[in-house]
Amino acid sequence: MSLIHVNNLAKHFKVLNRREGLGGAFRDLFSGDYRTVKAVDGISFDIEAGEIVGYIGPNGAGKSTTIKMMTGILKPSGGEIRINDHVPFENRIRQAQIMGVVFGQRTQLWWDLPVIESFKILKEIYKVSQKTFDEHMGMFNELVGLKALYSQQVRTLSLGQRMLCDITASFLHNPQIVFLDEPTIGLDISIKAKIRTIIKELNTARKTTIILTTHDLGDVEALSHRVIIIDKGKKLYDGDTKKVNALFGAYRTLKVQVNDFDEGTLDALKNKLAEQFGATNKITVAQTEEFWTDITIDQALTPLSEVLNCVMTNFSILDVRIVEIAMEDVVQRIYDGALA
Amino acid sequence: MRKYLAFTRGSFMVGLVYRFGPLLSLIGNFIYLGVAYYLWHSIYKNSDTLRSMTFNETFLYVAIGSAVFILLKTYVDWEVSYEIREGIISTYMTKPLDYQTYILFTSLGQTLMSLMVITIPTLLIITLVFKVAIPLGMGTLLFPLSLLLAFVISFCFDYFIGILAFYTESVWGLSTTKEIIILALSGALIPLQFFPAKLQSILLLLPFQTIYHTPLMMLTKPDQDPQIFVSMLIVQVVWAVVLYALTRLFFEQAVKVLRIAGG
Repeated sequence: MSLIHVNNLAKHFKVLNRREGLGGAFRDLFSGDYRTVKAVDGISFDIEAGEIVGYIGPNGAGKSTTIKMMTGILKPSGGEIRINDHVPFENRIRQAQIMGVVFGQRTQLWWDLPVIESFKILKEIYKVSQKTFDEHMGMFNELVGLKALYSQQVRTLSLGQRMLCDITASFLHNPQIVFLDEPTIGLDISIKAKIRTIIKELNTARKTTIILTTHDLGDVEALSHRVIIIDKGKKLYDGDTKKVNALFGAYRTLKVQVNDFDEGTLDALKNKLAEQFGATNKITVAQTEEFWTDITIDQALTPLSEVLNCVMTNFSILDVRIVEIAMEDVVQRIYDGALA
Repeated sequence: MRKYLAFTRGSFMVGLVYRFGPLLSLIGNFIYLGVAYYLWHSIYKNSDTLRSMTFNETFLYVAIGSAVFILLKTYVDWEVSYEIREGIISTYMTKPLDYQTYILFTSLGQTLMSLMVITIPTLLIITLVFKVAIPLGMGTLLFPLSLLLAFVISFCFDYFIGILAFYTESVWGLSTTKEIIILALSGALIPLQFFPAKLQSILLLLPFQTIYHTPLMMLTKPDQDPQIFVSMLIVQVVWAVVLYALTRLFFEQAVKVLRIAGG
């Protein structure tokens, strides 16, 4: 039996169709006009003890909803979840003892109190013995330098420091499973790297199973061997991270701001690139936000420097940014058969 | 139990962080006591006792009543509705905690804080500034116990209003209404003896009077027949148990909204 067993899991929400305006708002009071949103729609997977699994997808894919069902907050509308052979929402309090959860956008720490007080409260909640507590705090201190933050009020911590504290706090009671929901959201590169290192080390030291939801491919690349990609409540891919990486790791999006941009510019760019690198180079050109044109390339086929060079010499460019491929593009390419 | 006491300790410490809040409450209460003193003084101008209560007893009742009011005002309704609306409740539901007990013990911490910085100074003000003697007796000894029960009963009303946030987005109006109902019907502002006899007998059947009237009577008339005190405490215990159980059932029902409709 695997540690986490999810079979044909579904969660449907009924959402009231809201009408416009004040009159509409009044009519909504008596409206029975609901539509069903399938946030999770038939997902299955098994996760073994000690794994780190990346659970990824674009915004609104159903990642957090799945996590909330696995942690026993939400009741599934269909299918089954078994964690350690128990149904999470049936015996929530017992199940809670074996898991740790971090919701990236919220904190489990006490806002008004010094950091160490939150750890002391968690120690009591999970009935951690003083000896284990001291051991763990020593370990966290080595990893994060937690001691320096002990006396600081949580509200005065930076987002990155708070996240480090939140993650270590979720490991305090030595849970079998830790759910990390968007732990690196809104953080800059250096702190992201630090957080990844810590997650990795805690996983190795404790053999803790970690489920990581994110929409940053970099997190998954750095941490897990296995990745589950979902979109619109359905599973698109479940397998080796290397394969996903091999396909998308080499993709880069070159964002350029073209001087005197007009309707013809996109086509001109497309034609120029096709002329230079051949028509089958999988280069896509699109405008996703005002003033910026995205050129997505596969570095394995076309060197970034050459594309940049080509664009710079043939067009008048105001500004350039290079970013990793967005989750939405990955999903689109999977739909188009990239991983088939 | 120990794990919940950690929350009591935590919220007590939060109270210490915001130390100026209680000071302002104390100043506000002092002004209120001054007004109440002269108001009741003029009411008692022509007679020593009204409705079997002396001026001393009535003023003591009103003064301690105002201190108890601050003591019981732990904003549980605001806190709970905020946690529900912002989805913070999810964080607690992933922990091995019973939500109601957790909130109860958290608000207990605030109450203990107020007890220290408001109730005890108010008692000192009453005896030292207004020179009103506090009578002692059996009731004085039972007062802390009665106050604790009053705290639980008051908590249940607040908690109930807070949970309504699962259904309504805002509990502002409900919370204000609750406040007014309790203040008016519990004998918090005016001792129940001053109400018309018919109304009095109805109010004694409702739970509100067990929040203010019961503990305050123990303190202002502490030398009554012990039998009376015992029956007062029994009424309090019954209401505390019934209301705690009812709000608990209501939470189990309301949380399904979250479980089914999402956080």
